[in-house]
Amino acid sequence: MAKLLLKNLYKRYENKKRKKGEALNAFAVNNFSLECEDGEFIGILGPSGCGKTTTLRMIAGLEDITDGEIIIGDTVVNNVAPHNRGIGLAFEDYALYPPLTVYENIAFNLRAKHVKNEIIKAEINRIAPLLKVDDLLHMKPGKLSGGQKQRVNIARAIVRKPQLLLLDEPMSHLDGKMRQVLRTEIKRLHNEIMCTTIIVTHDQLEAMSLVDKLAIMKDGELQQYGTPFEVYDNPVNEFVAGFIGEPPMNILTVEVQKKESSFFFKFQDANILIPVPQRFYSVVQDGMLVRLGVRPTDVLIVGEDSKGSDVSISVFENLGEERKISFRVGEGFLTLITSDDKRYKQGDIVKLEVKSEKTHLFDVKTGEKIIAQ
Amino acid sequence: MMKNRLMDLLKNVSAYTVICLYSIFAIFPLIWLVIISFKSDTQMYNTTFIFTPTLDNYKIVLFEGADYIQAFINNIIVSGGAVLLSLLVGVPAAYAFARYNFAKKEDLAFTILSFKFAPEILVILPLFMIYQKIGLYDTYFGLIWVYQLITLPLLIWVLRGYFEEISVEVEQAANLDGYPWYSVFWKILVPLIKPGLVASSLLAFIFAWNSFTFPLLLSGFQIETVTVAALRYIGSDTVHYGQMAVAAAVAALPEVVLALIIQKHLVRGLSFGAVKG
Amino acid sequence: MAKIELYNITKKFGNITALDNINFEVQDKEFFVLFGPAGAGKTTILKTIAGIEFPDKGEVRINDKNVNMVEPAKRDISMVFENYALYPHLTVYDNIASPMRSPLHKQDEETVKKEVHRVASMMKIDHLLDRLPSQVSNGQRQRTALGRCLVRDPNVFLMDEPIAHLDAKLRHFMRAELKEMQSEFDTTTIYVTHDYMEALSLGDRIAIINEGKILQIGTGDEVYLTPANEFVAKFMGEPEINIFDIELEDETQVKMLGQERSYTIEEDVAEVIKEGEHKNIRIGLRGNDIAFSFNKENEEYIKGQVYSVEPIGNKTILVVDVNGQLLRLIAPNDLQANIDDEIFVRIKMKKAMFFDGDDYKYIYRHNQNELLGVE
Repeated sequence: MAKLLLKNLYKRYENKKRKKGEALNAFAVNNFSLECEDGEFIGILGPSGCGKTTTLRMIAGLEDITDGEIIIGDTVVNNVAPHNRGIGLAFEDYALYPPLTVYENIAFNLRAKHVKNEIIKAEINRIAPLLKVDDLLHMKPGKLSGGQKQRVNIARAIVRKPQLLLLDEPMSHLDGKMRQVLRTEIKRLHNEIMCTTIIVTHDQLEAMSLVDKLAIMKDGELQQYGTPFEVYDNPVNEFVAGFIGEPPMNILTVEVQKKESSFFFKFQDANILIPVPQRFYSVVQDGMLVRLGVRPTDVLIVGEDSKGSDVSISVFENLGEERKISFRVGEGFLTLITSDDKRYKQGDIVKLEVKSEKTHLFDVKTGEKIIAQ
Repeated sequence: MMKNRLMDLLKNVSAYTVICLYSIFAIFPLIWLVIISFKSDTQMYNTTFIFTPTLDNYKIVLFEGADYIQAFINNIIVSGGAVLLSLLVGVPAAYAFARYNFAKKEDLAFTILSFKFAPEILVILPLFMIYQKIGLYDTYFGLIWVYQLITLPLLIWVLRGYFEEISVEVEQAANLDGYPWYSVFWKILVPLIKPGLVASSLLAFIFAWNSFTFPLLLSGFQIETVTVAALRYIGSDTVHYGQMAVAAAVAALPEVVLALIIQKHLVRGLSFGAVKG
Repeated sequence: MAKIELYNITKKFGNITALDNINFEVQDKEFFVLFGPAGAGKTTILKTIAGIEFPDKGEVRINDKNVNMVEPAKRDISMVFENYALYPHLTVYDNIASPMRSPLHKQDEETVKKEVHRVASMMKIDHLLDRLPSQVSNGQRQRTALGRCLVRDPNVFLMDEPIAHLDAKLRHFMRAELKEMQSEFDTTTIYVTHDYMEALSLGDRIAIINEGKILQIGTGDEVYLTPANEFVAKFMGEPEINIFDIELEDETQVKMLGQERSYTIEEDVAEVIKEGEHKNIRIGLRGNDIAFSFNKENEEYIKGQVYSVEPIGNKTILVVDVNGQLLRLIAPNDLQANIDDEIFVRIKMKKAMFFDGDDYKYIYRHNQNELLGVE
């Protein structure tokens, strides 16, 4: 068990057919730094092609590093061979050895290291119940379900007591229910063995629910690194804001309007006015365009007598536990989620208010967060 | 920097050397053939590259005995006919193999492929006797028919792969869009299998064109093909290598032209379908 | 505009029964959702209605006419396929135009152009019209397929998972778009999905299908609040509903979760259970129907341990272990709790659903009729 440090990591895939004068490929991983404490559970999250798997493969030693340093524990491992890095790796496809039983699959790596039979047995007996595979030990992988295979796969990764456990999209092949169950199990497992763990995923729910800290990547660059709640509640830019949370945050272009001494946000192509929170007064001016972000849970339908704007409902969706209500704003929707039982119809007029302390402003051009003074 | 450039140069030089060697190896027989075709019989054995070129061979083969031209035309008729018939039969067959499940489907598909396994000489004797009896001996149709052994399996196997690659839903969607089955076939399927269709028909044509055993034994003097006609220049006492070379060169001409035109499609067309086929 | 009816549709593929005696009726202009897990037979039903699969038994009727013997093209049906089924060699424009150029639905090119542009702008793909399907993203392909379906005015729209392959953000958006468009369709629609939110959101009525059988047909409220059996209950909602055995002590008293004391079930529920002579009872509670606290607030609270805490943005899924029974409940997103902490939960009996422990069928819940607005 050890801490992990990534220092200014770069990765560029050489373009073998590059002609003279043609630009080099863009960095697949660009100046990526990360510090991960001993025993922490870290998630690397991003859309496909953002460089998250490349980063993981570099940590595992399966990919050369263009520049930068990887430190596991106290050693720089840049030039250490993968099998000497003390890493347990579980890929998205299980890659179990089909002719071997589950027991032998888990034991495989230990056997390769000539560990004594008794020790292997003791280890497997310790690990198997943690992952609930103790009943499957005599079976062959062909007979297992996807979820069971993935458990065996993870068991195989942790049986050699790695310093670092790397999980690459471990649940992407599973259906919704299996995913929910395995998610809980992985969380429990981490709590049990307290092994520094890094999970790579594109599923934000999975990442949020499992990890202590979340690193969000886009185009090879780290966007934000923080606890799931920080990332959810205080995203640094429009990308993170839109990527985290389901249903996604409303992010719409609004115009700032000054009326008497107060500022309002005016939605384009829609008759919705929202007062600008006081804290933004120093950064807005009349006629300015900004991107306003607000979570669907922070938009409220309020009573007749309050100040909000009258808006006509475009879409009402009853989703069982919750109700989702959307209002047409230009090309998009302003959406809210409520657990209120009241049913509406398309075309109903309601009064809308936005929790002003929960609004985020982003720059129209750069997408960076506009920080209130 | 200098070192790098030197390395690059060396790399290029060696690459080109290898390519040159290979092309000599590959093209030399053809060049040899062309050279021979311009030699007179007297110079045949005692010269290599330096000789007095003559067009006599061409004159003799192409104009003096009208038979060779006739053989050329015959070859076009039987090979072309064979491919057309194969298309007529093979496209629906390939479609059926790709789309429908019927008893012993794979066995049947394999049987068709296995036509290509057996050496022609193995089946030729019984065929010869049957052809004699039913009057197919020495007819266009007789040859076209027996050529199916060569052309049909190829076509079916390549096209089956193509049909399998098109999802059934595409056809069903077209059907629901309001197209009757024959429009679905012409407007949706044919454009999609075109690369495979073109490549495999041309390859089939070339195979049929080159066929030697079948026309040698199953046709007489009426329907002689170029491959067989070339034999005629082996006399009882001498071999007219020059004339034979002309015959061979002319016979190869359509193939070379075709191959050049469709080279790109040929490789793509066949490998694409072959992935699944 | 049409009414669609299926009578006793049975279909086998080899030894596997894909559809087992399917019966339902879709009203004119209704938005009908077929909902079930992968392999349930949803797509086969759609294809049977379209006429591209043939039932072994049973009857498909469109507007009271048996169409078993009518060719797919002549049924005047428009369908979106799950794998899009776009014509790879035609541009997006020609793909959308295809139905209007077929011999059956021929329009002049002027109209075709107008209609294609109308649909394309609705689908927001008007800038892609001259690209080939291979040159656009998955989401755009799906919208092209939707466009090709919507360009006509058929008897019925059949949609097979039309937005399933979009990313989460776009899916939310497209679902709202579809729902908004619904009023404009004005055409009977049968929609297949495996996402319960799509089903609840879009369907006027929902048919839940598993292993080729219809388990329940009802409005969103009906299937969510009063699921026909445990399978339906589990399939609707996330986190999955908690269902466990309870012991009937007498008519209104039950024991559960290994507790000493008894709990009272609502009177109307007790009555129904008694009438139905159910012996083994199971109780179902959704994530919101279990309250929790870190203190034993009152007698009702049952002690357990935190098994796992999974924040998912606007809420947290809290898994609690009560005497070996794992309960998943919904907590606010700022919840502070550690694994293995002591925690207390309270079962909200008024919200509970009751199932028969022998056949796993739904029995009753408190105030059922009021909930469903039944007189």
